[in-house]
Amino acid sequence: MQFALTWVMKLLPLIFGLGFLAPVIAAAMQALALPTPFDLPPLSLGFVIGGLWGLFATITGRWL
Amino acid sequence: MSSAAKAIVPADLSQLNQGQLRKLELQIARKYSGKVPWGIVAWAFGNLLVWLSLWPLVIFEAIPLWLGFVLATISLSLVYLPTHDAQHYIIGRPGTKWHWLNELMGHATSWMIVLPFELLRVTHLDHHRHTNDPDLDVDITSHADGPWQAIWSAIKHRQPNAKRGDDYLASAARAGRPDLILLTIVYKLGHIGILIALAWSGYALEAFLLWWLPTQLASIYLIFFLSWAPHSPGMGTGRYRDTKNWRSKVGNILSMGMQYHIVHHLHPYIPLMDTPAAYRELRPILKAQGCRMEM
Repeated sequence: MQFALTWVMKLLPLIFGLGFLAPVIAAAMQALALPTPFDLPPLSLGFVIGGLWGLFATITGRWL
Repeated sequence: MSSAAKAIVPADLSQLNQGQLRKLELQIARKYSGKVPWGIVAWAFGNLLVWLSLWPLVIFEAIPLWLGFVLATISLSLVYLPTHDAQHYIIGRPGTKWHWLNELMGHATSWMIVLPFELLRVTHLDHHRHTNDPDLDVDITSHADGPWQAIWSAIKHRQPNAKRGDDYLASAARAGRPDLILLTIVYKLGHIGILIALAWSGYALEAFLLWWLPTQLASIYLIFFLSWAPHSPGMGTGRYRDTKNWRSKVGNILSMGMQYHIVHHLHPYIPLMDTPAAYRELRPILKAQGCRMEM
């Protein structure tokens, strides 16, 4: 249990990036009618940004 | 100064020794204890209802999302102070008539800012015991040389690996409450789980602008006014040296009553809303004790 919790907490920024930031970015792009690069679907762009940002935060321990 | 203070406090305090000063200080402070501060009880539950009502109001488009965001940020900024009175058992001490209300108020509202009430209490009481101690004060990370550094520091210490989080968990462990560490993790995972569920149900922007972002902004605001401004920069340790009376550029309400934080540290059983009146009565004694005062 403790082992699983430790890993979940370690990976939490990545989970947050993919699970929450990605749909937020997609919804914001759609709400603001912003074009996506390479005609990517907004959610795909959300996964790229949210995933990379979450990975950065997971590795470095900071979002900024 | 009020007429009551005139009746109690002698004109020349220089003739009094430390014991007499302390006795006089206590005599005044006790006048403000023992009453239930119903105003802050109404504040706590009213604010909870306001924040909860924002969700249907925004989702059913009764108000625009941007207005919901502004109101949510104000609302979540107002969560902490009622829990703070409850942390000190000001609404009801254990064994008294209103203790259940004290605990209900704390537990029913602290979750809005994603922190367990008991963790807030244990760590805050630790802050009172070790104010400004570089090793033991849980709020030491809010210390900074100026306001902009304080804001940046508050942002830095909300990052995943920040020292502030570690200090809070270490305080819970020192208090013999490792259960609170697990409870804090449950709150955090529950919060993120709810945010993710909302986002994938079509309410991503609502979750972001009514809860996640307002919580971040409220936390920075709270740390700035409740922790940095009254304790930093240049404050030391010790009963009359670890905090101060100060004049806020944005006034007492927008700085959440923290101009009179010195009264709270000296007499934490005095309700928040009574600290200005208590300060005015205690002022000559605090001056005699060499406290830092700007008003």
